[in-house]
Amino acid sequence: MQSERQVILQIKGMTKTFGPVTALKDVDLTLYRGDVLGLIGENGSGKSTITSIAAGMQKATKVESMQYKGKDWSPSSMLDALSGCGEGKGIGMIVQESGTIAGISVAENIFLGELDRFRVWTFKSGKTFGPINKKKMFKAAKDALQAIGIDNINPAAPMATLDFQARKLVEIAKVLLKDPDVIVIDETSTALAHDGRQILYNIINRFRGTEKAVIFISHDLDEIMEVCDTLTVLRDGNIIRTFDRAEYDPDEIRKAMIGRELQGDYYRSDYDPTYGEEVVLACDNLVYGDRLKGVGLQLHKGEILGIGGLAHCGMHSLGKVLFGALSPQSGTVTVTDRGGKAIVKNESIAMKHAMGYVSKDRDTESLALSASIKDNIAIAGMDKYAVGKFLIWDPLEKKYVDEQIESLSIKCSDRNQAVSTLSGGNKQKVVFGKWVGCGSEILILDCPTRGVDIGVKQAMYQLMYKLKQEGKAILLISEEMPELMGMSDRILIMKDGEIKKEFLRSKDLSDADIIGYMI
Amino acid sequence: MVNANSPVSASASINKYKVKSIAIAILPLAALAFLFGLFCIVVTANDYNLELYLTNVINRGTVLVLVATGAIFIYTLGSFDISLGASTLLCATVGVLTYNSTQNVFLTVLVMFAIGVGCSLLSSLLASVFRIPVFVTTVAMMSVLSAIASQLIISNGSGNGLSLPKTVFGPLDSPWIKIAVIAVWVLLCAFLFDFTKIGRREKFLGANPFCAKLTGISMYKYAIIAFVMAGLGVVLGAIFTLSYSPTVNTGTASSIGMDILVAIVFGGMPISGGPRSKIYASLIGGFSYVLLNLTLNIVLRMAGVDSQGSQGITQIISAMVFLAVVYVASMNYRAKNLPR
Repeated sequence: MQSERQVILQIKGMTKTFGPVTALKDVDLTLYRGDVLGLIGENGSGKSTITSIAAGMQKATKVESMQYKGKDWSPSSMLDALSGCGEGKGIGMIVQESGTIAGISVAENIFLGELDRFRVWTFKSGKTFGPINKKKMFKAAKDALQAIGIDNINPAAPMATLDFQARKLVEIAKVLLKDPDVIVIDETSTALAHDGRQILYNIINRFRGTEKAVIFISHDLDEIMEVCDTLTVLRDGNIIRTFDRAEYDPDEIRKAMIGRELQGDYYRSDYDPTYGEEVVLACDNLVYGDRLKGVGLQLHKGEILGIGGLAHCGMHSLGKVLFGALSPQSGTVTVTDRGGKAIVKNESIAMKHAMGYVSKDRDTESLALSASIKDNIAIAGMDKYAVGKFLIWDPLEKKYVDEQIESLSIKCSDRNQAVSTLSGGNKQKVVFGKWVGCGSEILILDCPTRGVDIGVKQAMYQLMYKLKQEGKAILLISEEMPELMGMSDRILIMKDGEIKKEFLRSKDLSDADIIGYMI
Repeated sequence: MVNANSPVSASASINKYKVKSIAIAILPLAALAFLFGLFCIVVTANDYNLELYLTNVINRGTVLVLVATGAIFIYTLGSFDISLGASTLLCATVGVLTYNSTQNVFLTVLVMFAIGVGCSLLSSLLASVFRIPVFVTTVAMMSVLSAIASQLIISNGSGNGLSLPKTVFGPLDSPWIKIAVIAVWVLLCAFLFDFTKIGRREKFLGANPFCAKLTGISMYKYAIIAFVMAGLGVVLGAIFTLSYSPTVNTGTASSIGMDILVAIVFGGMPISGGPRSKIYASLIGGFSYVLLNLTLNIVLRMAGVDSQGSQGITQIISAMVFLAVVYVASMNYRAKNLPR
């Protein structure tokens, strides 16, 4: 059967090392036309590495052969790969984190590198010159966005004013505009809410069964089994097994991914929605632009309070306002701890009252990528190990950091490793280490398991549950219904900047009960 | 090693990686040692007085290192201050005017502190109030401070500039005093930079200001601290400028702003600031820069190039070395930031 299918991309014997870390070990991969191939594996298994090499983002350390449409393939850059190395219909990649530039408009992002086509005047030779015809550029950008079903993004808007989902959708439009024959979608769906995911699935379905192909990378096993025709599992830089759709078995796939069976509970196993009576964080009548329209809530000691909704419902802004990172036009946020009550006016006050915040936009807002694991973990916990509240004594700092690395099982060569070289899951563990280590009593977690694998997710869920049992309060903002239902004592559903419905933890609660209030 | 689950797979590549990291870390020191050796060889080969030339190195290096050490705090934030030369000039000018009016050394030093720190604070406050990048305000400040200093010199001095008696700061014009002051200032800054919360937060702000803000670190508070430190460096620089030459004119300390940038990059300071910033970059880089310039000057003079031509060629070669250092440093940075 497979021999009749046409190969579009073939990689043989690819090895990639990053300093001391071997990310790919003599790996083979074949992609067929019309196929939607899923790549799954734990963080650091090599999924992004192999596809980013094919998409021109970096070079392999060693490769026996890499062929695209039967010809040798060695793109010098992502743009080169997207253009098929000058022959058109190449390989486009939508990257896991932000792949757009914040300081320019949506349209300029979409047409980055080819703005000349919008210049006002044209020489006889076809070369253009003069100023950019912005009207024409915005119109073309609008068409590109509409071609993939997006009509609510203004092409003239500065990229920095868009939220994470909208930026991701612009990036998708930008890649598809080049009409690639292969698209790599690297852990993108976790950045998207329900509506954004539908757009992505429609694009995948357009590619399916044609002359084109898709490589889809995701940590969501249910999603990847639903979307993909075949599924290749990677572990520690090796390809472990490829499953055809008929062979899909979640337990077998999980086992192949992590090399063992998952022990213990995934989400918390109890359905007891009890928590402390003491209110530790409260807000009243919060207004922030059109994102929050009079939101009020109370978070109790020992409670996991879930906040759900579509991407633009205001829940991400709510997290930032509660932490003092955004100032509301009206309303107040009150934190209560051993020292009494305080109004949260900025992040500094929030931190003084043992609050921690994990942003959805991990690489931009939660981590300093160029800094080491030590720098990132230690920065929030200096009060814990400083001598006399002012002096930093290196051995104490190292001990503090090593404790977090050990307790969260962060995979690294040493504490001085740059965070940028870690996989997504290990980066997120560093973020957790930063906030848990410093003794946060109230944690605001915005999509804390975005882009992390099943093993790390389980570890984080278990950690959240442990923190709840210790009396810590957690505000869990999530776009994943199973996560909210699996972990929360209460769930508040937001829509259009308002809280529409509250659900209590229950075995009988289902997606269908909740989704109606979101859409 | 801190984790048994380490993905490290090949001991050979670990060694290669560590060797590369260590090599990059000690490269600035090795370059300083090489330049020092070369300088000594060039001086002695021409039968010049080595002691005299080494004193010259200390004289020229002292002001640069003192100002650059304070400036490291600003560079760590990922910004730079091009107005430090103009601040040093204004500080020295006002110092001379104050002494000439009052004959009070204590008051003179006090006024110089107020001017040095005040100029720096003004830059940081302008950046905070108008929310524009720090380096933009320092470009404007450079023009304003130079203009004020020039006006003061022209309206209060003779054609040769403004002078104060050599006895005021002259006693400080001793190599050993200069070495001692550099040592104390660098150690004080290193202590603040590497062993206190202030230093840690400055570095983290340079690494990612957005993340730093969400970790409760105030950009404005730490920018002000950075500028105060730079201001203190300016004051020390101005005092030692006057100790060496008690006359100020419009050209005094004019090139310091740019020299600092080149010198600290020579010393291994990442141009983007952040956690890999090092205080000792000013010390190593400052003296490397002075040694390079003096060595080139001597070599070019030997080759028959006149002093103006020699200065131009020296600047070009320094610029090429600067670009090469930034390129090598950024190669290392890029390698560390490749996607996984």
